[in-house]
Amino acid sequence: MSVETSDVRLERYDLSTAPFGAMVGIGRAALIVVPLILWELCSRFGLINGFLFPPPSMILYKLWVQSGPIGNPPYAIWWHVAYSMLRLLSGITLAVGIGTLIGVALGMSRRARLVFQPIISILMPVPTLAWTPVLLLLIGIDNRTTILVVFLAAVFEMIYIVASGIEMMNVKMLWVAQSMGATRWQIFWRVIIPGIFPYLITGTRLGTGYAWRALIAAEMLAASSYGLGFMIYDASEYMNMDVIYGGVMLIAVLGYVLENVLIGKIEAATTEKWGVLNER
Amino acid sequence: MSVDTARILPLRNGAGTNPKIVAKNIQKYFGNVLAMEDISCSINEREFVAIIGPSGCGKSTFLYLIAGFEKASHGELLINNVPITGPGPDRGIVFQEFVLFPWLTVLRNVTLGLDIKGVQRQEAEERARKWIRLTGLSGFEDAYPSTLSGGMKQRVAIARALTYDPEVLLLDEPFGALDVQTKNYMIQDLQNLWLEANRTIVMITHSVSEAVQLADRVLVLSSRPSRIIADVAIKLPHPRDLRDPLLRRHEDEITAILSAEVDKAMSLERQASAKAERRGS
Repeated sequence: MSVETSDVRLERYDLSTAPFGAMVGIGRAALIVVPLILWELCSRFGLINGFLFPPPSMILYKLWVQSGPIGNPPYAIWWHVAYSMLRLLSGITLAVGIGTLIGVALGMSRRARLVFQPIISILMPVPTLAWTPVLLLLIGIDNRTTILVVFLAAVFEMIYIVASGIEMMNVKMLWVAQSMGATRWQIFWRVIIPGIFPYLITGTRLGTGYAWRALIAAEMLAASSYGLGFMIYDASEYMNMDVIYGGVMLIAVLGYVLENVLIGKIEAATTEKWGVLNER
Repeated sequence: MSVDTARILPLRNGAGTNPKIVAKNIQKYFGNVLAMEDISCSINEREFVAIIGPSGCGKSTFLYLIAGFEKASHGELLINNVPITGPGPDRGIVFQEFVLFPWLTVLRNVTLGLDIKGVQRQEAEERARKWIRLTGLSGFEDAYPSTLSGGMKQRVAIARALTYDPEVLLLDEPFGALDVQTKNYMIQDLQNLWLEANRTIVMITHSVSEAVQLADRVLVLSSRPSRIIADVAIKLPHPRDLRDPLLRRHEDEITAILSAEVDKAMSLERQASAKAERRGS
């Protein structure tokens, strides 16, 4: 399970710029800003097709207008983002909860593992989107369809990672709790859940990544009025290239915020503070 | 051991004469492999018993049987005359590799046993602080285990086991993962802690000097399948000095028994492998 890192801190994922100072920061910013400026200039001076590649400033302006009261509908961007987030977070929450329970059950019982491993291995690689037509027929164009797609996209990763987290756990941790007279319930909440926390974080991070991709695709097929996927799909019907690019940018930024900032914060408050390494 | 009798001093608090743990003809199989042939012994109240034996002889397994983590295949194992059916808070355990909970601070690791019992947080902390102080961990209450040295982690593990007040303390090679300096220091500390705690202690070790320095009695196990081949009483007052000639005599005596056993096991092993080789060629 988690490895204590008191002696050697393996900061494999630490992307802090400390050792190289400002240089790295400037380099990173340049990699985003310079292509945007080139794009802007090429588009403005007609070097590339201004209809297919509208200048970034126009895209940002469009996003600004669409998120204000004169958007169509008013505050449209906020609604799209809110709907996408609602579906994503509901699906992820379900996947983390149910995935953890199933993962713990599989991890604790060798027999259950032998029975369920094949079916999970078969279902895991099925692209979530393949389920969408079935769900559409079963449920219809509804938030429940997109939430279920998000759930399916994340849940197998959760089950798999939690089960392997339990397998890696030192059985003596359970023994210590048992010899303190802990009940099964206490062992679950006080030992198993914190013990697999590094795996929970990894599972949530990977699952959120898959879910985010699946959500956008599912919204293109199964959303009727709101959602970033729907926004892009709808814009393509009307050839609103600026809205399409705006949607792509929003997806990228929100995905980054979710995976790195939000989960990163949870990580800093838990496993990093405890000095255990996240398993990936 | 006629030499010793002249020097018998009243043992501190007096190891009682009531048997605390009784093992009768314990046999343990792992699959088809016989790990323990026949172990019978009786450990008295407030006695400090060290169990020593060649590596792989199943001494830890015997401790896990007492702890209730494993079940004997045959035989009877009693604590306070009641059969042991599983782990329980009357027996505290300390492992060689500490097994602290990395997500809890030192204080929370130590109070966990009381938290689980449902003891009020304030009272739990008070009781924990006593053992934190006695194990020399004061000032580290809010540290996470990953920031502690090996010796300090072992202190936390000992404090954690003592705080919820078990009748028996089970130590599974508690100094095995520590460097020599830390180990010597911890042995001194454990003697004092024992005086304070006044519990029955069963310690597994592979170090004869640790055993004779700490224990009232040393049980020597044979190599697998294990039996008890010697039961040596060490009637010397605590704290003990390793340079004490009487202690040295016990040390030599047990070392002799142990090396004879290891020699026997090794020659058997060689014969077996030679036989296997002949069969192979």
